[in-house]
Amino acid sequence: MTARDAFLSAPTLTENSVTHDHLNWLEDEAISILREVFGGFERPAILCSFGKDSLVVLHLAMKAAAPGKLPLPIVHVDTGHNFPEVISFREEFVKKHGVRLIVGHLDDSIAKGTIRLAHPLESRNPYQTITLLETIEANRFDALVGGARRDEEKARAKERVFSHRDSFSQWQPRAQRPELWNLYNTRITQGEHFRVFPISNWTELDVWNYIARENIELPSIYYTHQREVIERGGLLVPVTDITPPRAGETVVTRDVRFRTVGDISCTCPVASTAASADDVILETISATASERGATRMDDRANDAAMERRKKEGYF
Amino acid sequence: MSTAIFRGHARPLRFITCGSVDDGKSTLIGRLLYDSKALMVDQLESLGKARGAQSQSGKLDLSLVTDGLEAEREQGITIDVAYRYFATPKRKFIIADAPGHEQYTRNMVTGSSKSDVAVLLIDVVKLDFAQPTLTLLPQTKRHAALAGLLGLQHIVVAVNKMDAINFDAAKFERVVNAFGELAASLKLNAFTAIPMSALDGDGVVAHTVRTSWFQGPALLPHLESLEVSEARGGTTAHIAVQWVTRDESDDHLRWVTGDLAESTLAVGDAISVFPSGASAIVGAIRTGRGLIDSAKPGEAVAIRFDRQVDIARGDWIIAGNADAQVLTQKTQATIAWLDNAPLTVGRRYVVRHGSRWLPARISAISARLDLANGQWQDTVANETGNPFADVNANDLVRAEIEFAQALPLTAFAKSAALGAFVMVDPGTNATAAAGMIH
Ligand SMILES: Nc1nc2c(ncn2[C@@H]2O[C@H](COP(=O)(O)OP(=O)(O)O)[C@@H](O)[C@H]2O)c(=O)[nH]1
Repeated sequence: MTARDAFLSAPTLTENSVTHDHLNWLEDEAISILREVFGGFERPAILCSFGKDSLVVLHLAMKAAAPGKLPLPIVHVDTGHNFPEVISFREEFVKKHGVRLIVGHLDDSIAKGTIRLAHPLESRNPYQTITLLETIEANRFDALVGGARRDEEKARAKERVFSHRDSFSQWQPRAQRPELWNLYNTRITQGEHFRVFPISNWTELDVWNYIARENIELPSIYYTHQREVIERGGLLVPVTDITPPRAGETVVTRDVRFRTVGDISCTCPVASTAASADDVILETISATASERGATRMDDRANDAAMERRKKEGYF
Repeated sequence: MSTAIFRGHARPLRFITCGSVDDGKSTLIGRLLYDSKALMVDQLESLGKARGAQSQSGKLDLSLVTDGLEAEREQGITIDVAYRYFATPKRKFIIADAPGHEQYTRNMVTGSSKSDVAVLLIDVVKLDFAQPTLTLLPQTKRHAALAGLLGLQHIVVAVNKMDAINFDAAKFERVVNAFGELAASLKLNAFTAIPMSALDGDGVVAHTVRTSWFQGPALLPHLESLEVSEARGGTTAHIAVQWVTRDESDDHLRWVTGDLAESTLAVGDAISVFPSGASAIVGAIRTGRGLIDSAKPGEAVAIRFDRQVDIARGDWIIAGNADAQVLTQKTQATIAWLDNAPLTVGRRYVVRHGSRWLPARISAISARLDLANGQWQDTVANETGNPFADVNANDLVRAEIEFAQALPLTAFAKSAALGAFVMVDPGTNATAAAGMIH
């Protein structure tokens, strides 16, 4: 039996046990964590890339607040190297849901001189941290909700749900506060803040199943579309102004979808004909590469890269 | 596509793995992840690149799967609780991987508080079968005692490295009997012992010819079938109030949110509020799934009452009348000390109980858990004559705790929500201790 057959033939619950359905359990856990943020902090915000994980968090946050309004703003760190589909999705989302959006522009940090690019087309991902920290300081946020999951990276397996950051926004892997039951120790002193991860316990498959169940809208690039790409080092590199073909490379048009949204200069699609969340789930089950490995050029090099960036304040 | 994939499955099972260094814990977790195909190709590749990835036998070293932080990799030990995920077609699992090193009892306490089940490893190579009565190792007694104290619903004893003793059924039986005696002395819930070789895979996902003499299930099918409950045996529904929201479309009606504990709560039920003592009737309930008539324990709910009630974060909603609220200010509790700064008797700490923060102090210590044998010992005066002298990180004590205010406390065995608290050092904000009300 293949993995796909096994999943398709999996038993389902009976009517009266539906409360503790897998996704309901994860949903309840996330809602509870979000309400800790709503009730327990003075100046919280939700960090959102408008990628699938942060959109799931936003969906959960709206449920946690219902029937009231979302009680906190959304923060987007804009690298200036965005897929246009993501920015138009962002604008639509804000209009549709009447949420408050705060954008931190990487270009502002460049103008101020707090970010100095080595060359203009360099990947901007490593610099997001600086703009993020500037946005946190300017708004005096004391809690920042994010969509990171523990299964994404080995270095994240030990991350707390409420992750304490010192006044330099640094993560201290040796001084993490133990988390007991759901009695989170959210006490901080001036200048410190928490990063909060309501979907810590979700896997990529959970996220897609939830998107399918809840009909959560995503930027169109998450589903199959035709795109000009270059095959480079086992990756499909999208052809853009920032990532033009190199001498001798051939541009081909492929059916692709993206698995994460990020800086254009370092986010690659995968070949796919998945047109819906259910299609993506089937692909995911038989996937042979985990999310970041296949699509983020900057993570490939080093297993410990994530850990280093976390220490520096990246999510 | 009509079949829901991983929609409509039973809730995930959370388990903690407890073992001492070299018992094979990392190998077991690696095997579970590996065999359940959770290891994707690129993770396998980076595993191959990692230092020393090949064991002497040339086999893939499964224990490297669970390594996390750079520093740990250098030291070759796991120093913190890490969470791992894997799924089978039947269920999703969340592993709290707690380290086996002696001084890290605190991590087992932490990991257990987020677990339903404990998988306790016993390394048969470390046991002396030549002795007429088989003695289990001190760490096994410690792990069992902690699993009992933290109220885990099931204990699975993974009798590991059976390959090293030729899958000897009689020796397995001796281990089971020794553990049975320990469990009885600790008054533990029922346990299931399973013979296995984490290294070779026998007894993990399925039994093999080498373990065919064993009548019970292999580890994974056993975990897949375990029933766990969100409630602990309490009878009164209660909610620690997390946050209050307003429905702006409906006369700014207030909705009170929190997690329902221990019992169901339905529209029409009478409740009272702690500390105000106000009473009300439940007018409407909603969860992430929408409006419902009756909520079950474990659900994150928002509730509207039939009248305006003065209520805020930190309060409790308790089913029944206010007269039925039993409030206690001073009580006995088990304290697991976690902080590197030792406990100071009489010092003012801040405590979180439910969603309420308040000052509290430990007024007396009556007993200490001997981690070598899992037995409680009355504290006796030391040389300096101070019976309260040293409660350090990883110590477990029975103590009297005095809260700044009377609270609706319940024994931890009856309610994790009303029976658990954390103590925080007001100077450093470090999480100092986990407490469980008697
Ligand atoms: N013979 C045998 N050796 C094992 C078994 N499980 C683990 N080991 C070995 O025991 C040693 C310690 O294993 P490891 O998983 O690192 O232990 P941990 O410290 O508990 O995580 C390694 O050399 C493993 O190969 C087993 O079932 N049989």
